[in-house]
Amino acid sequence: MTDQKAPAVDVRNLSKHYGDFVALRDVNVTIAAGEYFVLLGPSGGGKTTLLRTIGGFHKPTTGEILLNGQSVGHLPPDKRPTTMVFQAYALFPHMTVTQNVGYGLKVAGLPKDEIAEKVDYALEQVGLSQFTHRKPHELSGGQQQRVQLARAIVLDRDILLLDEPLAALDAQLRKDMCLELKHLQEKVGITFIHVTHNQEEAMTVADRIALIANGNLIECGNARDIYRAPDKAFTASFVGENNMLRGKVSEANGTSVIVDVAGSKLTVDKRGLSVRDGQEVDLSIRSECVALDPVNGTNTPADGVSIVGSFHESVYLGLTTSHMVRLPDETEMVSRVIADSDDSLPAAGAPVRLSWKPSDIRLHVD
Amino acid sequence: MNDYANIWLHRLKWTYLLLVVLTLMTPVIYVMYISFNANGFGANEYVFTMEWYGLIFSDELLIGALRWTLMLAVVVTVVTVPMALLAAKYYKAADNKLFPVFLLLAPLFVPPDILGSALLVFFKNLNFAFIWFGDQMRTSLFDSWFRLSFLTATIGLIIYTIPYSFVVILITMGRYRPEQTEAARACGANGWRAFWDIEFPQIRAGVFSACSFTVILVFNEYTRTSLLKGGFDTFTTVLISQMLNTGMSEQSYAMSALVSFIAIAVIGSIILATMLRAETLSRVARAKAEPVMS
Repeated sequence: MTDQKAPAVDVRNLSKHYGDFVALRDVNVTIAAGEYFVLLGPSGGGKTTLLRTIGGFHKPTTGEILLNGQSVGHLPPDKRPTTMVFQAYALFPHMTVTQNVGYGLKVAGLPKDEIAEKVDYALEQVGLSQFTHRKPHELSGGQQQRVQLARAIVLDRDILLLDEPLAALDAQLRKDMCLELKHLQEKVGITFIHVTHNQEEAMTVADRIALIANGNLIECGNARDIYRAPDKAFTASFVGENNMLRGKVSEANGTSVIVDVAGSKLTVDKRGLSVRDGQEVDLSIRSECVALDPVNGTNTPADGVSIVGSFHESVYLGLTTSHMVRLPDETEMVSRVIADSDDSLPAAGAPVRLSWKPSDIRLHVD
Repeated sequence: MNDYANIWLHRLKWTYLLLVVLTLMTPVIYVMYISFNANGFGANEYVFTMEWYGLIFSDELLIGALRWTLMLAVVVTVVTVPMALLAAKYYKAADNKLFPVFLLLAPLFVPPDILGSALLVFFKNLNFAFIWFGDQMRTSLFDSWFRLSFLTATIGLIIYTIPYSFVVILITMGRYRPEQTEAARACGANGWRAFWDIEFPQIRAGVFSACSFTVILVFNEYTRTSLLKGGFDTFTTVLISQMLNTGMSEQSYAMSALVSFIAIAVIGSIILATMLRAETLSRVARAKAEPVMS
């Protein structure tokens, strides 16, 4: 019997080994019913392994997976309340769009007229009503992924697993499909678990994001927190465009610490973390929070929220421009601004000051 | 041919191709030619006749041999092709592919005489062992299990044909995407249903090719069959026996030609049907690919 109050997915102490290789290490995560949950991380980090283990395509080495409160470790994929959208090549090429979408219903033994009705509705949901008689090779990449979506949602399962569903699409189509996925999830109201290595895609669709790398679940939180206030250094380095600075704690008293970075003393909120004098720590500051000013006689002296370096170059990226600055220890920092004028740029090698608000810099001790 | 290719090189390639086909087919065409000669092989005068074809069905030896060959072909195909299919599926899923492929292809590298003789000795010893076992059990139930017979010929031919079937099926399977099986499982299909509904229709051509190939190999095989067959004759053993002793009879030429006609007609029809189907599908695809206004 399904527990109505239980989370849609509850992963407990899950590990997956392939011989000596550890694909997942002691992963714990809970996903609520109706949530759009994204597994984000670099390639080979273990996110697809986790998704496929939830779907029943891999058996855990240790640990347990509960779907709707029921342990499903012993169940094959076809007996789980899940269905899946694959990256590509997963449509049945010898079947038409209608046959593809209706396949699961046919397997379930539904009457033909009921299948036809449900298939029509699912195709309408994904905007493919006019392509019913086409074979997969007669569809574009985006249309093929929509057929996969229709084939999955028509089954009325509780959990939809999406394994890099947009990876094979071009950039513009991916953006459009992201929004479509989000709207579809809101419409059907079931749990979506979406694997991607693309942070923009993750940010667009996710209610919550779990960052997975090297087989570990690094951090889990809502999309805004993961972006604006990453807890771990890895999260800061992977999500957004953060400047990562390595330094040594020179003073750790009260609620803030002073960290020596490239000859400057930076003041950082301690965030309740346990640090001691002399400890090596990481600091992160999002590049869009960093302001760049030339150093001249009017510049204020070192104040704990700025650092001096030499201007290196500017890279125009359309919407934004990134200014690269080299610190005395050769660390490169980036200041990203919404501007496309390069009239007032310092000369290469000129001294510049990078500054930020005290709340924009974060301390990481992992 | 692209716009920059040399037309003479292109023609040379086609001439070479036709020469290869002609070289391969000339002996068959010559047998067909003789089969219509009233005076048979080696005669000075060629008189066209259909008489030998009429006489085939009154030649008990040939018809009996053909019957045994067909039975062997059917049984060997029914056993070999599913075994080869399972082996190909295992091979696709295996992490270490070298060992299974070596095991499956090993019979190809053993000369037919040696493999046939080895199986002959093996079956004879196995037969003795079974008879001894029966004697110990005071029963004659095990006496004839591995006496040279249809069974031993079948086993020998299965060992011979499995590598070929395996390779033919594996080639077709190479294009199959395992994600489709996983997608079927995610749609609620069990393993068998996913195979039957999704994978089999896509590898069907390979499976049918393996069936055709196995039948042809059974018809073609002489050494292993003659060593392991026991008290019956197959089409090939009759033909070779005739050639070695009295020379092929006119009916035998007619029968050989008839089998060749049928084989060429079947293979030709398959190729023609495949080409026509591909053309139709591409025409439909082109028509459907017109932009849909929405």
